[in-house]
Amino acid sequence: MRGILAGLVLLGIFIAIPLRSTGYLLQLGTDTLAAVAIAYGWNLIGGFAGYFSFGQVSFYGLGAYATALLVLRAHLPWYFAAPAGGLVGGCAALLLGPIMLRLRGILFALGMLGLARILAVVFNQWRYAGGSVGLSLPAVLTPVSVYIGMGLLALVAFCITAYFVHSGFGLDVMSVNEDEDAAVSVGVPTTRVKVIAFVLSGFLPAIAGGLTAWNHSYIDPTSAFDPSIDLMTVVYVMFGGIGTLWGPFIGAVVLMIAGEEFLVYFPNLELALYGIVVIATVLAFPGGLVGLANRFGWLMRPIILAPRRLPAGSAPERAEPAGTLPVLEVRDLTVRFGGLTAVDRVSLSVARGETVCIIGANGAGKTTLFNAITGVIPASSGEILYHGAPVSHLPTFRRAQRGMARSFQIPRLMRSFTVWENVVLASRHGRQSHRVVEHAAWVLHTMGLAGMWRDPVSRLTPGFQRQLEFARVLALHPELVLLDEVMAGMTRAEQEDVRRVIRRLPEFGIAGVALVEHVIAAVADLCDRMVVLDFGRKIAEGPPAAVLADPAVVRAYLGEPL
Amino acid sequence: MLALQILINGLLLGGLYILIAQSLNLIFGVMGVVNLAHGAFIVVAGLFTYWFAGRTGINPLALLPFVFVVMALVGAVLQPLLVEPLMKFGRSKAELLSLMVTFGLDYVLVELALQLWGSSFVSLPYLQSSWTLGGLAFSQALVVSGGFAAAVSALLYWWLNRTDSGKCLLAASQSETGAICCGIDVRRVRMLAFALGVALAASAGVLVIIVEALAPQTADDLTLLAFVIIALGGLGSYAGVAVAALLLGIAQSLTGYFVGGNAEYVLPYVLLILVMVVRPGRFRPV
Amino acid sequence: MSGAASPAPALAVEEVTAGIGPLTILDGLSLELGAGEVVVVLGANGAGKTTLLRTIAGLLAPRRGHIRLFGEPIEGRPAHQITRAGIGHVPSGRELFPRLTVADHLELGGRLSPSARRAELRRRMLAMFPVLGARLGQRAGTLSGGEQQMLAIARALMTDPRVLLLDEPSTGLAPKIVLSVFRTFPVLREQGVSILLAEQSLALGLSAADRAYVVDQGRIVLSGAARALASDHRVVDTYLGR
Repeated sequence: MRGILAGLVLLGIFIAIPLRSTGYLLQLGTDTLAAVAIAYGWNLIGGFAGYFSFGQVSFYGLGAYATALLVLRAHLPWYFAAPAGGLVGGCAALLLGPIMLRLRGILFALGMLGLARILAVVFNQWRYAGGSVGLSLPAVLTPVSVYIGMGLLALVAFCITAYFVHSGFGLDVMSVNEDEDAAVSVGVPTTRVKVIAFVLSGFLPAIAGGLTAWNHSYIDPTSAFDPSIDLMTVVYVMFGGIGTLWGPFIGAVVLMIAGEEFLVYFPNLELALYGIVVIATVLAFPGGLVGLANRFGWLMRPIILAPRRLPAGSAPERAEPAGTLPVLEVRDLTVRFGGLTAVDRVSLSVARGETVCIIGANGAGKTTLFNAITGVIPASSGEILYHGAPVSHLPTFRRAQRGMARSFQIPRLMRSFTVWENVVLASRHGRQSHRVVEHAAWVLHTMGLAGMWRDPVSRLTPGFQRQLEFARVLALHPELVLLDEVMAGMTRAEQEDVRRVIRRLPEFGIAGVALVEHVIAAVADLCDRMVVLDFGRKIAEGPPAAVLADPAVVRAYLGEPL
Repeated sequence: MLALQILINGLLLGGLYILIAQSLNLIFGVMGVVNLAHGAFIVVAGLFTYWFAGRTGINPLALLPFVFVVMALVGAVLQPLLVEPLMKFGRSKAELLSLMVTFGLDYVLVELALQLWGSSFVSLPYLQSSWTLGGLAFSQALVVSGGFAAAVSALLYWWLNRTDSGKCLLAASQSETGAICCGIDVRRVRMLAFALGVALAASAGVLVIIVEALAPQTADDLTLLAFVIIALGGLGSYAGVAVAALLLGIAQSLTGYFVGGNAEYVLPYVLLILVMVVRPGRFRPV
Repeated sequence: MSGAASPAPALAVEEVTAGIGPLTILDGLSLELGAGEVVVVLGANGAGKTTLLRTIAGLLAPRRGHIRLFGEPIEGRPAHQITRAGIGHVPSGRELFPRLTVADHLELGGRLSPSARRAELRRRMLAMFPVLGARLGQRAGTLSGGEQQMLAIARALMTDPRVLLLDEPSTGLAPKIVLSVFRTFPVLREQGVSILLAEQSLALGLSAADRAYVVDQGRIVLSGAARALASDHRVVDTYLGR
């Protein structure tokens, strides 16, 4: 209701502006709408995905030039040329994305900065595109048409962002920002997700560039690749609220208008002021205006894919057991780092219905083994077979999607998400992805988390956070579950809860469980077989009682006396 | 003959580059902070030198110690205000947020420079002639500037490796926990690193303005140049960065002669992107 | 209780609770290190040994409880000041400076002391670890595991500590080397250094110490004279969860 009212008010203002004046105010409106569109574009990759780019002006300029050339050389009307320019920007992002997005943080930011500079120099030299002199475009007949075009662009940008904030895809993008490694372990195809966000973030400023070029009837490298556009964009988004639906809009509008006022009193100091705004925002209120509003409960992000009321959910259909092959088989697995052999020709298997416990002293290679099985680190040699089929070539997220789930030593939950969203992120990509909401609801009820399904993770006690970690694993509807030191840091009571869950795992359709554990007392009676690792090698295997009494095992744990 | 000339010009230019790069390397190595305002400090110092020496006729080299001290104080004030508060977020978040903050700082400084000195390219006409030696011409300005830069870099090297405070800085950049175990106040080391980095960048500015024209808008190019050299030379490796700086100087000299136009300005960026794509591991601490 | 007050123990950990984020790793843990003693803290991995040492060294601030160095409370102080107060720390992972030389490490460790004392400490270090003397100009990153461990200990000892915290010094080392490291303990004791050692290897730990504590999930579950605990089956039970 409130949203529709706000929308009508904005529409009213939008229509009023060209009616009131066709001069200065209209131009301000057009420029503001451009700023809004570009800000939304930056927000997609910088805010939601967490990849700060200081070179989005690259796409702006490319779009501007593409549009200008199409208008001049191919005689396309602007309303074809501008979207085509947008496509050029999007394609550039598509080509660059897989390369640039492999880099983390600062490298990506700097790489984009460098790209913008390269493009500026290239276009300065390129005579076909007018070189340093630039290109003149046929004059705009009606400035209002540009204004409307920009308004549509801003609306599209808003809608794309709204989609991000309401959809599972958006949740995937945000999970990349939260914890990319944990996202991968839950089946999120992070590379694809990042590239799509990047393409969209290149598409929007490219169209804005095209429309602006047309608006000014002129384009040259200095204005097309003007680095201050990057600054302004970053300022608008940070000030308004990074990673939010309304932040870019509020930031762009407020600062554009404030900037205009400021310009009257202090011409030439605009950029310096914006620099100070960035610094102040990052240091004092990194969440921006929307972040401040959130503290009062306003402009909160809706919980993604959440139904109005939590349904009871239903258990997944029981699949027919597929054959007698072991769920997991590891053959002669070796993992080497530099000169160190962390895992040395280890072979083990988890048969259908088995729970295998892997123990060993510190540095024995247990977590490394898990990391190799899930694909987080590459194995130097050996085979990993899942239901008899080799999986060593599959990336981690694929293995997760096929039913190989793992939990982490320290729970790696998405801390800014709610309980519901953590679970639904997994159920979207797991083997129950055709009944995402139903399955997620069922998992929450089963793990006793239904009462707090809308709570942010940060409010959960450690015990419940551990339960949520389990819930996330279950939401994948896995067949093989790898639990990495789940008892760490748990009180006796919490351990009992975890033990109860582990005992029930077969009910959930889980065919095999492998546990790495130090708190042996808590798991000894839960496992069918125990495997002992020492310095990367398997030194014992068998029923727990026998293994724990094995003198070789005792010696490995207790160490040699002096 | 010509080849030798190009080579030597490149080496001298490289001398300047060492200083430009090492000052950034210092900050990056200790804190993981990429100071995007690095180039701005260079430009502000350079333009100040141009202005002051132009007005008073003083030898610009005499300004070097003054600029160094003042900018060191500026850096010592800025670090606890702008950068240190971000350190509590952990290394990777701190890296990104400090990018934002120094990005803002960059613009503040560049705007300040534009206000004070305008946007035209200016250079100090100090030492206009060249020395000739055996058929080769050496621009006096380049020799003096490159020589001084090399000397300052050598001084930095000496300080880092032979003094207690310098070694504390190296220690803190190689293992923060280990440094704490030696009773080193890592917070103060970070402040020192930043102050020193800014002071050295400013010193580079004083030396660059004698040789090349500067304008406020070239600030980002200088920052990227420094970053490319660090990338090529290997983060944290003093010798590697020095070699990379010299090689880049030579490469630019060659490109400028044989390809001409603006190719030599694009070279650092192309190299940057190439290195990032082919060897992203370059940026993780050695 | 009347009479003279007993001298404060070198280190007193009183009901300390500490953790990282949502996890609580130390749960009301108390122990004591007497002056001139060698005490070992045993326990399976994840029991809290490293966290305990890091908390004492000031790398982690305790949520509750007190830590006293010869009676003086030090909890909550910045870590580098705790080093200056007299606690030397050899962290797990050693945390050496890979591109600095052996001599540099000794110098950095000794920077807090006046030059005469520093020279004396250095002489002692080289006498205790002659292999380091042979490699003074070598970079720490190129040393072998055993040499690195010795260097880490030497560096900590150069800070002239009254209490030395050793975190699993035997990790990744051949028994022979561990032996040579532990042989330095009597010498250190003579020089007035009290040692708190965290060890996973039961046999090694008990053979080197006077007294021992066994930690399980953040609490002390067993304590006593090392010799007595060596033949106490409950210790083994704690490890293997029996």
